Amino acid sequence: MAQELGAQDIRRGAVVGLPIMLGYFPIAFSFGVAATKAGLSPIEAVVMSLLMYSGAAQFMAIALVAAGAGFWLSVATLVGMSLRHVLYGPSLLRAGGQSVPPKGALLWGFGLTDEVFGAGLGAIARGQAMTGAFIWGLTLVSYAAWVGGTAVGALAGASALAAWPSVDAGLSFMLTALFLALLLSIMQRAQLPVIAVALVGTVACSFVISPTAGIMAGMILGALVGTVVGGRDAA
Amino acid sequence: MRPEIFALIAVVGAFVWAFRALPMRLDMAKMPEKGALARFFAATGVAAIATLFAASMLPEFAGGRTVPALLGSAAVLALYLPSRSVVLATLAGAIAYGAGFALLA
Repeated sequence: MAQELGAQDIRRGAVVGLPIMLGYFPIAFSFGVAATKAGLSPIEAVVMSLLMYSGAAQFMAIALVAAGAGFWLSVATLVGMSLRHVLYGPSLLRAGGQSVPPKGALLWGFGLTDEVFGAGLGAIARGQAMTGAFIWGLTLVSYAAWVGGTAVGALAGASALAAWPSVDAGLSFMLTALFLALLLSIMQRAQLPVIAVALVGTVACSFVISPTAGIMAGMILGALVGTVVGGRDAA
Repeated sequence: MRPEIFALIAVVGAFVWAFRALPMRLDMAKMPEKGALARFFAATGVAAIATLFAASMLPEFAGGRTVPALLGSAAVLALYLPSRSVVLATLAGAIAYGAGFALLA
């Protein structure tokens, strides 16, 4: 019975991960193509997706490698870009009403990308239970699509989409469309100030400082506004 | 595989794992239900997704792809609101963006 529930939960997680798969495969394909264009071998591109599993950081990594940036400068830049993920695990547990993480969190936690986090929150908001098996299903299909897409793109080579620029363009917009759809799936009227501040903070800091700073600023400013507004509502 | 590339991947990958997995070891049971930290984490989700949407739209405007980006976003809204399907809305957004790109090319 417990095994049956586990299998059901894995399937439930995999279904929630379906839009991420659809988004990840083409983006990872583009990454594989871009990586070979930048001089990485197909194996290097696939190992990067296997061990780093962070889209924005990976695209930045190939730019840094192609530009001949130093090792520690590259590490500092890429680590700084990934810092936002610190907030995702505790936030997801909180939303799922969990005081301790479901079993295996040290392993599946590696799969908590921006999109997996958003899809997980959306599923919880729609009343789905957050079990360990559910998260495994969600993270594994997303990870497989990312690594698989990278491998296919890297093997296809640098000129793979040159003949179909519109398809290339459409695929490049897939993650943006996914972020908007995820935002619509989790937003509530009370959160409009959070969204407004996050949007304005991101745009302002991206222009004034850098896109990476813009992401951190938007996220933290939005969450701080949510902390204040939530406190007023609770009082 | 070049050793310097592997070293970069391994070091950054270790940090990515630590950032994503280790914060869940925080003892959430000790966190007051209506406390400031709990409210902060509750608001992080929507703030993060809004931020990532804004951050991914900015290069579209800067790169002269405003019309396809607006068409794609409109298609996401048009499909999501009646269907409540993240899959359909995402696909519609990508197709509308590609169509807009083709029309302007």
